[in-house]
Amino acid sequence: MRTQRFLVVKVILLISLLAACSPAVPTEAPTVEPVAPTEAPTVEPVAPTEAPAVEPEEPVMEPVTFQVFYPVAVDAPIAAILNGYIEDFQAEYPYITVEPVFSGGYGDVQTAIQTTIDGGGEPPALAVMLATALYDLINADYIAPLDGYVADMEGGDAYVADFLPAFLANSYYDGQFWSVPFQRSAVVMYYNADMFAEAGLEPPTSWQSWAEAAQALTVQEGDTTNWGLHFSSDWPYWLFQPLAIGAGQNILEDDCTVVFDNPAVIEAVQFYIDLSAEYGAMPAGVQASWPTDPPDLASGATAMIVHSSGSLSGLLEQADFELGVMPYPGKEEGTYASVPGGGNFYILKGAPQEQQDAAWKFVEFITRPEYVADYSINTGYIASRASAYDTEAMQAYVAEVPQALATRDALQYAGAELATQNLGQVRGIFHDYLQRAINGEMGAAEAMAAAQAEADAALADFCP
Amino acid sequence: MNAQASRKQPKPLPYILILPTVAFVALFTAWPVLLSIYQSFFRQRMNIARFREPTFIGLGNYVDLFTDPYFIKVISNTLYYIIGTVPISIMLGFLFALLVNRKVRGIGFFRLAFFHPMVLPMVSAATIWLFFFTPDYGLFNTALRFLGYSGAENWTGNPNLALLSVIIVAIWKNSGYYMIFYLAGLQNLPTDVYEAAALDGANGWQALWKITLPLLRRTTVFITIVAFIDAFRTVDHIFVLTSGGPSRSSTVLLFELWQQRFEYQDIGVSAAITVIFVIVLLAFTVTNFITSERKEA
Repeated sequence: MRTQRFLVVKVILLISLLAACSPAVPTEAPTVEPVAPTEAPTVEPVAPTEAPAVEPEEPVMEPVTFQVFYPVAVDAPIAAILNGYIEDFQAEYPYITVEPVFSGGYGDVQTAIQTTIDGGGEPPALAVMLATALYDLINADYIAPLDGYVADMEGGDAYVADFLPAFLANSYYDGQFWSVPFQRSAVVMYYNADMFAEAGLEPPTSWQSWAEAAQALTVQEGDTTNWGLHFSSDWPYWLFQPLAIGAGQNILEDDCTVVFDNPAVIEAVQFYIDLSAEYGAMPAGVQASWPTDPPDLASGATAMIVHSSGSLSGLLEQADFELGVMPYPGKEEGTYASVPGGGNFYILKGAPQEQQDAAWKFVEFITRPEYVADYSINTGYIASRASAYDTEAMQAYVAEVPQALATRDALQYAGAELATQNLGQVRGIFHDYLQRAINGEMGAAEAMAAAQAEADAALADFCP
Repeated sequence: MNAQASRKQPKPLPYILILPTVAFVALFTAWPVLLSIYQSFFRQRMNIARFREPTFIGLGNYVDLFTDPYFIKVISNTLYYIIGTVPISIMLGFLFALLVNRKVRGIGFFRLAFFHPMVLPMVSAATIWLFFFTPDYGLFNTALRFLGYSGAENWTGNPNLALLSVIIVAIWKNSGYYMIFYLAGLQNLPTDVYEAAALDGANGWQALWKITLPLLRRTTVFITIVAFIDAFRTVDHIFVLTSGGPSRSSTVLLFELWQQRFEYQDIGVSAAITVIFVIVLLAFTVTNFITSERKEA
């Protein structure tokens, strides 16, 4: 009897382990970097550095501390870099203290914020989240529009207009401005230029020449095949989009309209399948190769990969050959395609007003051209503002690493990244059917028609 | 006299001692479960403005779930996952325990070798396996080819193999853990029964089947429960290896729960899945006890 009771207690404990995974449990306390004590707000240290014209409007400022949730999604010392910027910022605004919280990737940041708010807690004033999360964040009433801040800013319109247009595509909704592009990337094609030169090939300029180059560069070595092209499809919408755009039809029109069953999109699906089925230039089926593709290119196991521009720094470091960077070739000769990605700054409306105001000051500060340029040079992200490319540091950098300019230039061929209402579900449906087509479980046309029907149903509640 | 008096007067000390545990269980187990049961009767979606406030819909969420062929597939994936991982990893754990329960020089090394997967965090382990599973040059495929295998090599991208590949990683990860329980059980077994059996002329097989296994039954019950619950609550490797794909072929119940709650922001449906979860686990563990304790009596 005693042992039975003991076992029952064990069971309860085990189930409580499980319950710890259930959504109702409050989120764990975010890990907070140690922060320097808030400096006393005196007028004197501000006066000499600030322009005197601004000074009378800002008398003695109350000290304010806010948190910024920041995702670390690439292989770069993001935390160290950002802490440096925060030190500079706090030197210029002694009354503001910024507490950065580095809590995993984009998904983790958004989950942490959701659970904080849903649990009745106070969110951080500032966070970097995916640009495509816009509609979900607005619908849940988590974020504040930024138009007021831009209007109060001197040259606010010029400030906004300086961001690269492809990156601004996911910042507007309902005529309001919601997010500031910062940590941004694009899909590009990387190629081993030495292999191309040896085989007497030119960089591809159309689907046809792309597939033929990949075919020519596929070589059998004993048991293993060195493929001409690696094209990951385990989380496929992002890398797939430039194929559809290159065929002449992006997979979305607006937040309520997806275009999956258009003939051009179906043709793009078929092209992906044909790269292995027709040309034998790529492994067949869904490729779960996102993390292995860059090392495979660097080691010569493949001649081309499609990947994020964020992988540029790592590839340049590892590759002992001439690395080529370009947008995807489009279907027609001389056309190209790409799609942007990455994260923007959002201000959370659940935070106290003075924290939100301080957060905006930080956003303004960190998006100054010299910081945007510095961030791009140190991380491999694409500088989000046009004027960043005019800074001396950036000029010197692109003279040395011309590939950094190629990632920005790919953006002129970019269409909008998939961002819709009910994004998680719509994206899941698209992934489901795209992978069925790639794995040969359904024909391309049949799969895309089914995806369209399901996605339309999933959007019905959102788009009356 | 004394004993009678103390029976009438309830002693406060035992209750005070279990109070912290009761408080924790109430706060972190009972309360979330009750909240989930309540929420599962409401429609509430955080990413639709007009459904942000909960509306009572009775059993609507459950009806939706069980009429959705996709959710049925998730259930069947979960069943496959449990059938694939639980018995095999328990058997392997028992086998490993028998192998390392000897007094041989360097046995510590073998125990460590069997146990080390358990010490690795699941995400790191799964990342290592992702490279093992790589078609062409991946270690797993190279080893299989050496053994004469010539089938499909695209483990995590093939809809027929994706679930199997997450099962393989789970077995590899958990067997060593269950081995530890069996090893502890084996070392606590009385030696005299074996001596008696040997005198009676029992061979090794008979000793294993007639003595070792029955004496370890309690350990087996415990490990079965641990393994079953593990099978429900480990999803980390699915995030790393397959993201539930391709085409949702490796989506299991807890992964689906995460997806509903944080990707689709559907609070009602995710609460309903939580309730289903708790019911299944309770049913399993209670049945397990009743059957095993009855045999005891």
